[in-house]
Formats: sequence, structure tokens, C-alpha cells
Amino acid sequence: MTSIQMPQLGETIVEGTILKWLKQEGEAVAADEPLFEISTDKVDTEVPSPVAGTVTKLLVAEGATVPVGTAVMEIDDGSASDGLSAPPASSERSMGAAVVAETPAGPVPDRGPRSQILSPIVRRLAKERGVDLATVAGTGEGGRITKADVLAAAGGPTPAAPLGMVAPPAPAVTPASIPATPVVPVPPSVPAGAGEDVQPMSHIRRAIAGHMLASVNQTARAWTMVEVNVERLVRLRAAAKDGFQEKYGVKLTYLPMVTRATADALREFPLVNSRMQGEDIVTPRSVNMGIAVSYDAGLIVPVIKGVDAMNTAGIARAIADLAARARAHQLQPEDVQGATFTITNPGPFGSLISVPIINQPNAGILSLDAIHKRPVVVEGDAIAVRHMVYISMSWDHRLIDGELATRFLARVKHNLETWDFAEDLGL
Amino acid sequence: MDTTVETDPAANDRTLPDERLREILYLLKLSRYLDERLEALYRQGRLPGALYSGRGQEGTHVGVAYALEARDSLFPTHRDLTAQLTKGLDLNRVLAQYWGRIDGYLRGRDGNSHIGDWDGNRTFAVMSHLPIAYPVAVGAAWAYQRAGDGRVAMAICGDGATSNGRWHESINTSAIMRLPVVWVVNNNQFAYSTPNEKEFAVPTIAERATAYGIPGVRVDGTEVLEVYAAASEALERARSGGGPSLIESVSLRWRGHAGHDPAKYVPRELLEHYMLSKDPVKNFEAHLRDRGVVDDAAITEMQSRVEQAFEQAHAFALDSPYPEAGDVSKGVWVEDGYWRAEPGRGGGTDAG
Amino acid sequence: MATQQVEAAAAGHGAEPRGKRSDDGQATYLVAIAEALWEEMERDERVFMLGEDIGVYGGAFKVTEGFIERFGPTRVVDTPIAEETIVGMAAGAAMEGLRPVAEFQYSDFMSSGFDEITTVLARYHYRAGVPLPVVLRAPSGGGVRASNFHSINPEPWFAYTGGIKIMCPAFPSDAKGLLKSAIRDDNPSVFLEHKALYRRIKEHVSDDPEALVPIGSAAVKRAGDDVTIITYGAMVHKALEAAESLAGRGVSVEVVDLRTVYPIDEDAVLRSIEKTSRALVLYESFRFLGIGSEVASIIAERAFEHLDAPVMRLAPPNHPVPFSPPLEDAFLPQVADIEAAVDRLSAW
Repeated sequence: MTSIQMPQLGETIVEGTILKWLKQEGEAVAADEPLFEISTDKVDTEVPSPVAGTVTKLLVAEGATVPVGTAVMEIDDGSASDGLSAPPASSERSMGAAVVAETPAGPVPDRGPRSQILSPIVRRLAKERGVDLATVAGTGEGGRITKADVLAAAGGPTPAAPLGMVAPPAPAVTPASIPATPVVPVPPSVPAGAGEDVQPMSHIRRAIAGHMLASVNQTARAWTMVEVNVERLVRLRAAAKDGFQEKYGVKLTYLPMVTRATADALREFPLVNSRMQGEDIVTPRSVNMGIAVSYDAGLIVPVIKGVDAMNTAGIARAIADLAARARAHQLQPEDVQGATFTITNPGPFGSLISVPIINQPNAGILSLDAIHKRPVVVEGDAIAVRHMVYISMSWDHRLIDGELATRFLARVKHNLETWDFAEDLGL
Repeated sequence: MDTTVETDPAANDRTLPDERLREILYLLKLSRYLDERLEALYRQGRLPGALYSGRGQEGTHVGVAYALEARDSLFPTHRDLTAQLTKGLDLNRVLAQYWGRIDGYLRGRDGNSHIGDWDGNRTFAVMSHLPIAYPVAVGAAWAYQRAGDGRVAMAICGDGATSNGRWHESINTSAIMRLPVVWVVNNNQFAYSTPNEKEFAVPTIAERATAYGIPGVRVDGTEVLEVYAAASEALERARSGGGPSLIESVSLRWRGHAGHDPAKYVPRELLEHYMLSKDPVKNFEAHLRDRGVVDDAAITEMQSRVEQAFEQAHAFALDSPYPEAGDVSKGVWVEDGYWRAEPGRGGGTDAG
Repeated sequence: MATQQVEAAAAGHGAEPRGKRSDDGQATYLVAIAEALWEEMERDERVFMLGEDIGVYGGAFKVTEGFIERFGPTRVVDTPIAEETIVGMAAGAAMEGLRPVAEFQYSDFMSSGFDEITTVLARYHYRAGVPLPVVLRAPSGGGVRASNFHSINPEPWFAYTGGIKIMCPAFPSDAKGLLKSAIRDDNPSVFLEHKALYRRIKEHVSDDPEALVPIGSAAVKRAGDDVTIITYGAMVHKALEAAESLAGRGVSVEVVDLRTVYPIDEDAVLRSIEKTSRALVLYESFRFLGIGSEVASIIAERAFEHLDAPVMRLAPPNHPVPFSPPLEDAFLPQVADIEAAVDRLSAW
């Protein structure tokens, strides 16, 4: 949906009058076709359409005078609208959010809408105690690093020895989605005794710990599951996997197909693709799919950018490439940034159902668990054996509600159960 | 009530020996000369700040102040510099104040005409809000009453200030408490540009005294001995426990409210009449000549003393350094000791 | 108590304030103030009192009950209703070596003497070096349904002008010690007695006539680690109540009572901010240009690098104090408002 606003034709113009609608609700319109006539202090003119589509709503009456920037018409052009094209009048409000967004993402990774706010005491203590703020995940509102977080990272209110608490050498990847040192104040520790091995947590481990805890603390996490009949997928894969391997040089798993189906569902339900920013909802127009990859150091989530424009084959190749590079510790920073949604796939390891933790700042994370043959009820109330899988999603109830989450999953299920992926595999 | 006083100067001067009469003339002449010279300097742009002329009212100022004892206190306004000089202020330090120098009475902290010397001569440093000193005079008088030491407070204000609430509050309170205070109103007939009839609805200020239950007199402010006699009587009454009195001393303000005011609102004929026939300085000089108290030689000598005093004071003022800028915020609280010590003298003069 | 009454009678001082302490020996805020006045009047002959209805009537709030019988009408002076003259009289008497304590029936009437206070009292020493040891006392503050003209907090008017020390004690012992200090101080001072506290607060106060509380020193009334509330007057008690409630939820609040609002004990404020890094400035004078605005500015200027959150203020708006109970309650910061502000501050 595209919102058409009263344009500003001239620097000092503040309002305009709709003289005449040239298109009515329900009418089709081509790009550049005139939509309406307006009159301003400076000029009378026609306003052409920026998109092709169908006029769905006229929001203002003919003859009405409205301020510049007011939404006057809506056109359904098949786009995932950002829905919230802010008129200039709300610049004040968006500036509040923008202040947070535009704070240069300096040495501190972007882990939340307020993760870039470094208060004076935080900066000072970090400097005095030798704490690398890039390694501190904030437990404050919106991911802000608080005084307590820094003190905990430094080993407590009393100045701690810097050894062991200083940030470890930066890894090849400075992942945006992997924060580092956990910031929860360490509870009184039980000292290691005889018969116990002690090993300091790795940088990545600490990063994962902090990120997971922050996610659980900040999101209103809910969870929904659907059961999907993947019989057709199983058969297709069995038939196509050799040819696919030969043609593309990568293995064909179920993950690319699920990714493809999910990407489509995200286009259909863009709110599931969104994130919170202060009190705003930011909805990107394309889908960047994070794919959780397990490797020797732990867990990393490389991102397929623009996955919604790729077919299943392309997705499969992208996943293979990212996974390989992840395991080889060769991911670049941009490879792990910008995910708008995440899929995790513990299925190959055998889990039946999982409750994943959301990859902040996404609105949801989808889990693809193990495919098993199960007796199920089919048409005519007969019982048959089919390949079934539980696909679930942890989702942030601050952003989405149950109905939407469920419909989203239902769409994924529908795609997986009804699509013919053969063509999409390019075979 | 009869508000007039005997206008025959001769009737009054039997109480004062010749020496003191000459002293009075000196003060009148000094006052006039000072006024003329300061006006000239002001017009030449060589006098900083504002100038409030008391010309034509010298009879009032010298008359009331000369009757005071050294231990009495005086609460004057900006126009009553002559009264302060009569009370005993040093002309050197007065002019140093005019030029904003450290040797001025207020160390440059207030405007040139806002002079006062409480510790030395018991005069209250002039303030602009009129008559803001009147309630303070009530307090001083109350302290004298409590101590029973016979001291008296005298406050001067102009005809315009009698419209202000503080005037009424102060006189009323002093009357209730029967305080040793003399309330003087210098009625020079114009409050800035406002004539008497726009300042009060009764014919005289003096008759308002009845409303407060105290005696009031109206005197000719251009006749110094008449004023002196009225002031002496009021002081005696206060000193002996008889309570407050009101003296309305009538003259004319020859100059504008301040140096910048051409005073076109004063009717020409009135001004000419006063300048010609009601000049307090000229008239008193003539009177003393008539009585043989002074002759030409004495007058010449007196004038030369006046001029010398002025020149000396003017030189003193210009030689005195400015206050040091770093002292600007000292002396707010008593405990920082600024006022109990000699001030810094490193502020330099115009010469360097 | 019985002992005290006998003493008082034996000395002929039938209405001595100390005789008004409660059975357990505690003094209310009002009695503590009366004790300070009495002790200073006894100690120094130059001290005298003036004001409307303070002598024969014993004062509108009965603070000076019994004084004229003991000290006589030349030391307890009933004046006409003439606030400018009351202040001017105090100034003139002070210039002649006396030490006047002038009472305003309500702090709201100080504006009737505004010129003498801000033009004479505040400025005379700076410009002419003559000390004016004058104390102006007045019942101030609201929350007692006294409405517009009997509820003001005038301290910002006089803080602005400079040259006058201003005290707003919250506790009886502080009131007693501070008033004594004010009377002995050679500078003019304004001593504001929050009327809501007159009879509502009591504690043990010192019997030692030389027990003084220094002017310009704040006191920590409750120690804490998470958030500092800087406040004064009746609001101190609301802050303490809120702090107690917040402690139950695991938020540790430190309450700093300014006691003197001009000059402000900056070091005490800063020490607390260094500890907690979060400041809520709570004040009953109006929000814009009230005392708390200055405290907030001081913190921002001098404690910036200790702050973990912006400095917050909580104060009533700049308009007349309303009468109807729900209006006045909405006007003044309440305990719930303080708790909510601390919550917002903690979560920042």
C-alpha cells in the first residue's frame, strides 16, 4: 500500500486544497497518471501517481484544504508498505526516535534502540576500569548500558584487577547480532573444587550468553506451533537431491524450502518482519533472513540479504556458502548484520519441538525441527503414515499478537504443503 | 490649623551667633557652586552617571540639616546632597563617589547621587525607590526610643513621594508609637513633571499631618532660617518624647528632575519669580550683609574657600583609583570581611 | 514533664515554650521554634521581635504565646498592618545595633513588604557595608487547604535577589538550631516555617541553648544507594515516606534535606550524586525557577560525569495554589508521584 500525501510545491507553502479527484476508489491507475488537482498559494496543478495500482481510499473531500504532508489517498500497489510514511508534521516525534537511531553506532554494537546511549558515568567508569563497552550488553531500557552493567563487567563496585576482565582480542567478525560479555551481575560463585575443571568462557560464549539473556529480558516472548505435512517435500527432495548437488554443487536440505516459504509469508505479513525502535515500528521493505548456524565456537547467525527476491535454489546456495564460511571463521561483519527474521534448524539433531530465543531485534524466530513419520488422519478419516514436522515460532508480543502470529505460521504451513518446489529448484 | 510660620528672618536669627550664620551662608554658597559646576561638567560629558539638582531648594536642605545634632540620623533622597554635606560629609569623598572611585562613600557600588555615610555621619545611603528610607527611619527612631538616649531620626522626601503607600505607613506607625522622628517634605512643586495638584488632592501636604494625629507646619523653603526654626522645634519635640512632626518646606525646583530633563513643564513666570526674588542663597547673603554679619571681604573670602574646596575635591576624585574589578562580588555577606578592611586600590584612574 | 512545669512556674515563666513539650519530652516543630526565639531573647538583650498580633495575642499560630508577658512590649512589638514598615523598621533598628526578628503572619504577605526586603535588606550591606542582622520569619507552604494566599513558598523570590540567607527546615531540631543561627548571623535572613509541619512533626530537641545548626549545610536524612532525592521543607517527609515504600521494592533511596535553600550546600548534594548517579529534585516552590531548578543546574554543571540518567525534577506548576482538596492534591507532589518518579528514574 502506498500513501499519497499533499505535496509541498514551494518552500513557504504550508497547505494545499484538493480541487478535484481525478481517480475514484477502486479505479486502476498507472504510474505517472494524474491522481488529483490541487491549488496552493503559488500554483494550481495536477499530482501524478508515483506507483501503479488501484486506488483504495480517498481520505479527504474535494475542496478540503489540508496541511502539506497530510495523507490524502491510498493506492494498493502490491508493495509491502511501510505503512507509516510520516508527514513532516510528525518530524518532531520521529526526531525523538531518530535521535536514538542516528547516534553514530560507534564502538558499541547496535543491540537495541538505546544501546548507543552511553551516560557520562558509564563512559567514565569504562575508561577508568578498562572495560570495553563493545563487550557489554546493556540491561537498561532498550538495551542501554547502565552504570551497574559496567561495574559488573569490571568485576564489581570495587576496582577489580583488569586482567581477565578486559575485552578479549577482537575476532575476525564483529557480529552485530552477537553481543559479548554477559552483563548480569554474577551471583556469589561456588568456587571450583577438586574434581572440577575450570575454563574461562570464550569471547563468543560470553557474547552469546549476554545476547540470549538480553533477549529474554527485553521481549514479551510468546510461542506458537503448527504441524506441517511435508510428505511432498520429502518425496521431492528424495528425487531431486542428486541432480541438485550435481547442478549447484551444494546439498539440498529442507531448510532452503522452509526459508523460501517463510520469506513469502513475511511478505504477506510484513509486521512479522518488523522491529521496535523506541516507540516506533520499523518495517523493512525486504526480507533479510538470519540462518542460525552451529559451529565449533558456538552459534552464529549469518544473514541472507534480500531473500524474498531469491528462489529456493538461490537460497540453498546462499545458506551453504554462509554456513561454510561461518565454520571457517570467514564471515564478514556485514554477513551477520541486518537480519529482519531468523530461522533456526535444530531438526537435524533430532529435536521434536523447540522453543527458540528471539534474535534481537527481530519480531520472531522460526524453528524447524525434526521430520518424523507419524500416523495422521487424512481425507476420508483414514489413518496414514506421513512425514510430519513441528514448525514453531517464538515471537515478541510487544509487536505482534496471537492471531497474526498464528496466521503467519499457517501461511508458512500452507506454502510448504501446497507449493510445487520443483520448478523453484531450477531442475 | 494655622500652618504658616513667621516669615521674618530677623525673628529667628537671634538664636544663632554670627559665626554660625556665616557657616550657614558658606554651606548655601558651597551648595550653589557645587550645583553649577557639576551641571557644567555634566553637560560637557565629563560627569558619569546622573545629576539631580537641588538648586533653588538650598534653604530647605541647609535649614533642616543644620538643626540636627551629630548623633541624630538623616534619611535623605537623591536631591538632598546639600543636606548630607551640612550633616558633615566630606566633599572629597562625595565627589569621589560621583566619579565612581574607590574613595567614594560606597566604594563605587552604587550611583553617584546615592551617597550615605552611616558609620561616620549617620546618613542613610540614598535609594531610588521613594520613599523607601521612611520605614527605615521608623526603625532607627524606634531604637532611639527604646534606648531613651534622646536621639532623633529625620527623613526627607519630595512632594511626589507623599503619594506612595510607604509614606503613609511610616508616618502612621511613627504616630502610633510616638517615635522621635521628624518627617520633612521638600515640596519643590514638581515631581519630575507632575505638579502638586496631580500628586495630592488637598491644598497642602502639611495639613495631612492632622490625619495621622501629629503636628504639621508649612514653611517657606527659600528662607533658610525659617526652615531652621521649624526643624529645631520639631527636633526638640521629638527629643523630649513629644513624638513625630511633619514639615512641608516649599520652594521650586529650578532645574529639571535630572540633568537630562529640560523641565519645560515648569511655567516660565513661576520660575522667573523664584529665580529673581526667592533665591535662598542670594537672599540670605543679602540678609547677612544687611545685618552686618558679612561684608564684601568676607564674601570674597568665602567664595574663594568654596571654589577651592570644590577644586580640591574634584582633583581628589580624579586621582582616586577605580575599584578593582575582581572585588565585584565581595561584600555581599558580612563574613567575607570586605567592608571591614581597606579596599584594594589597584583599579587605576583614567590617566592610567 | 511535671518537673518542667514546676521549674517554669518557679521562675515566673508560666508560658515558657519548653513547658509545651509533650509528656515524653519531645517538641513539635512549632514549640522548637518558640524555644529558639525564647532562648535567643534571653541570651541577647538586643534581640527583639516585631510583627502583627505577636504580642498580646501570642501570634496567629501562637508561636509567641507567653513572650510579651516575659519580655515586655518593647521587646515584643505589635505593629500595625504595614509590611513595608515592619521590614523597614527592622532594617533601621538593625542599623542602630539591635537584632530584630520580624514575623509575617503568612509568607504570602512578604510580597507586601517586597520592596523593603529586596531593595533595602538584600542590598544595603553590599553597597554601603553596614550589617543588617534582621531575621524575617513566616509560616509558608501548602497542603493544609489554606488556598491561594496562605500557601505560598516565597523562597525563590528572595533567593533571586541575593544578599539574604534563606532557611526552610523540615525537622524540629533543625528548626530550632537554624533559627538560633539566623538570629546570631549578621546578615539578613528569611526563615520559613512550613505550616503543615507546625504541629504534625515532633522529636527530641536539644536543651543546650548553644546547640546550633549551621546555616548553609544540608543533611542526609536517609542513606541509600540507588537514587538520590534532594528536597527541603514538608517535602522531606513525603520523600522519606516514599523511600520507605520503595525500599520494600528493592529500590534504595537516599534523601538529602537541604535545610538552607540559599546558599545551597552544593558539596553535600554532589557527594550523594557521586554515590547513586541518579537525582530526583523534589521541591514545593514552583517548578519554573523554584529552588530545585538551581539544584538541578548545579548537578548538571558539577556532577555530569557521575550521572547515569538525566536529572529529574518534581514540583508544582507555576500558578496559584488551589483550594478544593482534589485540586490541591493534584497540585502538590504526593508520595505516589514521588515513587513513580523514582521508578522512572531507576528504569532509565
